[in-house]
Amino acid sequence: MSSRDNRTGRVARLSLLIAVAMIFSYVEAIIPYNPGIPGIKLGLANLVTVLALYLMGPKEAATVNFIRVIISGLLFNGAFAAVYALAGAALSLAGMVLLKKTGLFSITGVSMAGGVLHNLGQLIVASLIIEDLKMFFYFPVLLFSGIVAGIAIGIASALLEDRLRKSLRL
Amino acid sequence: MFKRFFTKADIVLLVILVAAGLATSVFLALSGDAGSKVIIESDGKLYATYRLDQNISVEVKSKNGTNTVVIENGRVDVTQGSCRNQVCVEHATISRSGESIVCLPNRLLVKIEGEGGDGPDVISG
Repeated sequence: MSSRDNRTGRVARLSLLIAVAMIFSYVEAIIPYNPGIPGIKLGLANLVTVLALYLMGPKEAATVNFIRVIISGLLFNGAFAAVYALAGAALSLAGMVLLKKTGLFSITGVSMAGGVLHNLGQLIVASLIIEDLKMFFYFPVLLFSGIVAGIAIGIASALLEDRLRKSLRL
Repeated sequence: MFKRFFTKADIVLLVILVAAGLATSVFLALSGDAGSKVIIESDGKLYATYRLDQNISVEVKSKNGTNTVVIENGRVDVTQGSCRNQVCVEHATISRSGESIVCLPNRLLVKIEGEGGDGPDVISG
């Protein structure tokens, strides 16, 4: 393959991942499941972020993440929510990249840390905007939900990684 | 099967995170004991403050009239008022920080301040 084909292929794969992430965001936005506590959700779209990180790399994962958050923010959740989500996504991805680089953690562990950091990032932004540290009363709830969601996403990613590597010819 | 998804470092990280979560839960549970305060103002001046988690019945007397304020199981209710319109008595009980019951004729204000029972409305993302 020439470098031009590579570039095209990369754009195509990135677009594909963004499209899938958008669908996940949409599915999650329309499923009326409510565990009774706000802020707790699976974060299906993070599955795509984790996979993008492992299949393509940090830069690509950041691209997919950024575009996904902006577009889904505008489409489903409102621009204001996108600010929260962006902070969570940025912190989460940074943490996942670092953990992955150590080589000690499996995809599940990386995703778990990502889930926790995602919630933490949002909480930080929320308390900055609301200027109220009482928000951190909410920290344990978000921590545990981040752990559970992160592990679930991590296991799904582990199952999908090899298959996708083959089918996307990465 | 288990080894396929978790490494040792994963488990260590999980334990650390869970421990951090439990530690903050315990810390918050202990520090949250002070809880919310019930503030009673009469005639524009502070009359008394009570903890929301105590059970007590208070008769508030002023030159305008009397009201009975009952704090029970984390809820505050005005059960009796010498006022004519009885708006304060008919008002629903309050339990969350920022809520208040007012008796205008008697110039009485009962409000809840402080943390607890007042989580964020929405966390999105």
